[in-house]
Amino acid sequence: MRHYEVVFMVHPDQSEQVPGMIERYSNVITKDGGTVHRLEDWGRRQLAYHINKIHKAHYVLMNVEASNEAMEELTTTFRYNDAVIRNLVIRRDEPALEESLIMKAEREDKERKARYQERQDNDARRAAAEAPAEEAAPEPVADEPEAATEETTEE
Amino acid sequence: MSRFFRRRKFCRFTAEGVTEIDYKDLDTLKQYVSETGKIVPSRITGTKAKYQRQLATAVKRARYLALLPYTDAHH
Repeated sequence: MRHYEVVFMVHPDQSEQVPGMIERYSNVITKDGGTVHRLEDWGRRQLAYHINKIHKAHYVLMNVEASNEAMEELTTTFRYNDAVIRNLVIRRDEPALEESLIMKAEREDKERKARYQERQDNDARRAAAEAPAEEAAPEPVADEPEAATEETTEE
Repeated sequence: MSRFFRRRKFCRFTAEGVTEIDYKDLDTLKQYVSETGKIVPSRITGTKAKYQRQLATAVKRARYLALLPYTDAHH
């Protein structure tokens, strides 16, 4: 049994097959005593460059502990599955359990966007409240602790 | 005539005691890739050889997965 990290990219048109694929691949690994330590669905991501005239792909990350045979089976299924555009299998020394940096970055990005949206909404509401002077005073909107969340980039 | 003050280069990974450079850490990798997509040499960044090797494999893996571009000339 060894630890592996597997990333595979699925054609965006076959995106809806992804849950089934994950299920099948997990079964391949677990059926002879392996375990899936981490499973992440990164969703559809923009590619840094086009692959076969595709601009986006659905990424899935799996950190598994599996036997050699299971991994062999997995890589052959990748090879014969046309929906899988690319796959990367690397050997690791230990299981990875915490959230990967891509997911983290994505989540933070989403949170930042949500905060931004919220701020925009607040501003709009405040502006709307201030415009008609006879209306009630604008509710005190608590500003987000911006400085705390924004990271300082060092050279 | 090195009258210009040049900031001392230092290896960020050594300073932070990084155990392994992750190919999924795009924010870090992007700092060590030029605008044209090349890996910046350690003689410029000051990265220690051990980490420069890890960095190179990490960037190459990220490129393979289309997380980073190979070049800026991808149409």
